[in-house]
Amino acid sequence: MRRRHPLAACLAMGLTLAMLSPADAQTTVKLRLKTDIRSTDPGANRDGPTDGVVQHMVEGLVAFREDTSVGPLLAERYEVSGDGKTYTFTLRPDIRFHNGAPLTAGDVVWSWRRYLHGPTQWRCLPEFTGGLVNIDSVVAPDDRTVVFTFDRPSALILATMARVDCGGSAITHRDSLGPDGKWRDPVGTGPFKMGEWRRGQYVELVRFDQYAARSEPRDGYTGAKKATVDKVRFVVIPDAAAAKAALVSGAVDIDHDIEPEDFAELKARPNLKLETAPTMTMVTVLFQTRDKAVQDVRIRRALALALDTREITDAVTAGTASPNNSVIPVSSPYYTKVQAAGYTRDLAAARKLLAEAGYNGQTIKILANKRFKSSFDVAVLVQAAAQQIGLKIDVEVLDWATQLDRYTKGDYQIQSFPYSARLDPSLSYEMVSGPKATQPRKVWDNPEVEAILRESMQIADRDKRQALFDTLHRRQIEELPLIMIYNEVQIAAMRKNLDGYKGWPTGQPRLWGVTLN
Amino acid sequence: MLSYILRRLAFTIPTLLLVAIAVFTLVRLIPGDPVQLMLGDAADPAQVTEMRRALGLEEPLPVQFALWLSKVAVGDLGNSISNGLPVLPLMIERFQVSGVIVLLAVLCAALIAVPAGLLAAWRQNQPLDLAIVTGATMLLSIPTFWLGLLLLLLFGLKLGWLPVVGYVPFSENFGQALLYIVLPIVTLTMVEIGVMTRMSRAAAIDVLRLDYVTHARAKGLPERRVLMRHVLPNAFAPTWTLIGLILGNLLGGIAVLETVFTLPGLGRLLVDSIFARDYPVVQGCLLFTALIYVLVNLVVDLCYPLFDPRVQAE
Amino acid sequence: MKLRGNTLVGGTLIGIVLLTALTAAVWTPYNPLQVNLRARLKPPSDLYWLGTDEFGRDVLSRIMAGAGTSVLVALLTVTFAVVVGVILGVVAGYVRGWTDRILMSVNDALLAFPGILLALGVMVVVGANKYGIVLALGLAYAPSVVRVVRGTVLSVREREYVEASRMIGNGEIYSMVRHVMPNCIAPIAVLSTSMFGWVLLSESALSFLGLGVPPPAPTWGNMLAASRPYMETATWLGIAPGLCIAFTLLGINLLGDSLRDRLDPRMAHA
Repeated sequence: MRRRHPLAACLAMGLTLAMLSPADAQTTVKLRLKTDIRSTDPGANRDGPTDGVVQHMVEGLVAFREDTSVGPLLAERYEVSGDGKTYTFTLRPDIRFHNGAPLTAGDVVWSWRRYLHGPTQWRCLPEFTGGLVNIDSVVAPDDRTVVFTFDRPSALILATMARVDCGGSAITHRDSLGPDGKWRDPVGTGPFKMGEWRRGQYVELVRFDQYAARSEPRDGYTGAKKATVDKVRFVVIPDAAAAKAALVSGAVDIDHDIEPEDFAELKARPNLKLETAPTMTMVTVLFQTRDKAVQDVRIRRALALALDTREITDAVTAGTASPNNSVIPVSSPYYTKVQAAGYTRDLAAARKLLAEAGYNGQTIKILANKRFKSSFDVAVLVQAAAQQIGLKIDVEVLDWATQLDRYTKGDYQIQSFPYSARLDPSLSYEMVSGPKATQPRKVWDNPEVEAILRESMQIADRDKRQALFDTLHRRQIEELPLIMIYNEVQIAAMRKNLDGYKGWPTGQPRLWGVTLN
Repeated sequence: MLSYILRRLAFTIPTLLLVAIAVFTLVRLIPGDPVQLMLGDAADPAQVTEMRRALGLEEPLPVQFALWLSKVAVGDLGNSISNGLPVLPLMIERFQVSGVIVLLAVLCAALIAVPAGLLAAWRQNQPLDLAIVTGATMLLSIPTFWLGLLLLLLFGLKLGWLPVVGYVPFSENFGQALLYIVLPIVTLTMVEIGVMTRMSRAAAIDVLRLDYVTHARAKGLPERRVLMRHVLPNAFAPTWTLIGLILGNLLGGIAVLETVFTLPGLGRLLVDSIFARDYPVVQGCLLFTALIYVLVNLVVDLCYPLFDPRVQAE
Repeated sequence: MKLRGNTLVGGTLIGIVLLTALTAAVWTPYNPLQVNLRARLKPPSDLYWLGTDEFGRDVLSRIMAGAGTSVLVALLTVTFAVVVGVILGVVAGYVRGWTDRILMSVNDALLAFPGILLALGVMVVVGANKYGIVLALGLAYAPSVVRVVRGTVLSVREREYVEASRMIGNGEIYSMVRHVMPNCIAPIAVLSTSMFGWVLLSESALSFLGLGVPPPAPTWGNMLAASRPYMETATWLGIAPGLCIAFTLLGINLLGDSLRDRLDPRMAHA
């Protein structure tokens, strides 16, 4: 062949290659991520998407089930002592790490030491060093037994260990660290192991063939977590429109979190199917009760009565979510008739309250962001509703980091704020309740409420907890530190040939048990 | 000539220093905090402080600045807060993506816009001129993200000719790489044609009025030769300066394009890092784009005499 | 001088925009902020001539209300950039020496600074309102004006007639105003008309990247940005503000060209 047009030859070859479908017969499921992951170190340098990817590779002793209760994962069983201060975990036999080494109790102790003492910056360190409880010791009397001793009992110990943002308190092998003691790649026990991470583009995980699955069916982050596809690839596509195009063209197989406004359009596509799952993320309107503008509960009540929560929820979520005025998520087992009682729109009463409170036409600012579209949409609708009773509200749009800063410092009048999912009602209330003096981010500053909350964290009896939560709900509706609007429903859109995907309350994707036909 | 280049390079140092100071100050002035973002809605104050201390963010600002600058002086831009990677290699990798696109797009745009501008100037205030000006203005008034998405939907989805998302480096597979960057380049080219046509039209109108063009015409030279020999080279000079400005600015402004086409470029790295308050990366990127900008303009100035016979380098 | 076709077309377009903005000040078909959740994303009809947006707000009313804000913001920004740019450019080009070097270092630093960060920074300091945008974008665009003006000053000040003006005893300032300034008008006219377009659009680019401009008050730029998710399902949302921006720009460009032709001293020589 003559070398007359090397460029043209190259081009032609490239084109031919591109036209051919991928040569390897391996199955790869491609899922869209909104942002790149931060690291692969569980519960350390993390955010939502990072947790979602890392949980495919690592596992903890316990994990959340679909109904948000906690079940054993690496543990075969566990026993709690009578005083609630000693937890004894028995490990399942025959579990192997990605490097082939068997899982022993020593590995569990090593991992927990790393969380508690190393320079790991574990997110949940404060919880286990006095916040929730203090861990007095973690020991391994034999190869399959681990004993945790705490300074006090708590109903939330297992739920906190299982917390997704804590990395599920994953047990990893020493080889996860490099010779310098720094985190390298996760050597875990999960159904997938680390493949290739191209920063800003994708993370690829490979099926772990020696994975020891539990016998009961898949249930949340526990149960049988059998990988059926050869590889999974998490493709980073920040822009929603580009992601939509990628899904329609088949460049990704599934987007587990599409915007509600795309619901109808994607549903109409012949090659796609949709799946919805209620999550426990909260879309809220927060009041700074220390600010003069909304200090008076009558003004807050007036706004609450001006809103038609159902109409707002329908508009923002394209009719996929149901309204909820309670901090307890609709999908929680603790959500009962009591929690379903919220606010009903009553413009006359709202106007009357506003007049009684002596509202003088002052403009109140509501903060919102566009990173979470629901935040902005809710703010605009709240503004419009307030207008009807003569309450002047201005929307101020900030970038997310700025809004989070204002939230953390308590520097706002009203804000439309999204809370991430908390899988236990106590944790949901804990997020909003607390002393503003030491923790300015807290919105509900009432010592009595805190006392009830603390009680709910210590007792294990379900009915007693329900009674406490009912009290908390009634007080929340009465004292109005915030207006809950709804819990998000996650909409997953996927190619028709993808089977076995199911959403669940954490909102995290799960690609085990998923097949491509 | 060499001493001129060296002197110009020396002058870039105060500019870069100013950029460094401005970037550092501005980035820290913006509210928000990388640690807060990491811990989200459940940030425990003590933990925030501890993590900030570990990242060196609890030091007084002047100390942080001095530390950063002294490291930059020896070529160490620090590590990203988001993912712990060293900033410099990260930036260079991302720059390769953006650089190729910007360079090719500006080249294509110039090849189309300069003749178009010349043609419009030549037929000033006639229908052809109005058509070209209208076309250029229309291109100017379409936002990049609209045009980009439109092309993406057309060629990626409706026709299925080109891939929708992703990127393949040229070093890996030339043909594939080309497929992935065709649409971004076309989009950027169309956007840039708008500005460039207008600039080259204005420049050509200036030249057309000059005496020597009248002379050339008076001498009876055919119109085409007048345009090609006398007007085009002279009208190109101001456009060349503009190209320098555009090249420098585009690197910063390319974020929108990279978002639409999901390209792992420098612009997206910068925007993502701003949102993540990843100070070392933001600082590194801005310093880097400033350096590129300065260098590009140096090259533009050095080449200027080649295009404009009236100007000699100082 | 006779009124040419381009000037006429340009003048008419700008006239329509100004008239719309003035009308909107006293009357719009609907309240542009009125949310109506029962009439979301309605296509154009005789009730809503240009349809409604995702909150059920009337697009025509928003376009009308947006005309004033958009044009005002663009005008203020361009004015700010041109005034600051011309003053600094002339000073740098005329005084030269160290003042020039310092000014140009600062200028290059500003030029090399991506507008996004500048906008984010300034809007945080001034607040995310109209004036924040004007200041942010003005600061981002002024350096280009400085460069262009300085270049022109440098090339013009050595020309024969400026030398001559100095020789016959005219003061420096007089020579500058009389001879140098008019020569800057052509490049500035081109630059500022382009800038006008960039301002109208950069607002939408900023909101696209997630740096919102206070949105309930409509501007064409943020209407355009907000329309993007509905590009396929509710095309009218993007077309209306897009065309408005295009026609305004066309008008401004055509007018800018004729302004330049009138004021350019070299026209007289031709």
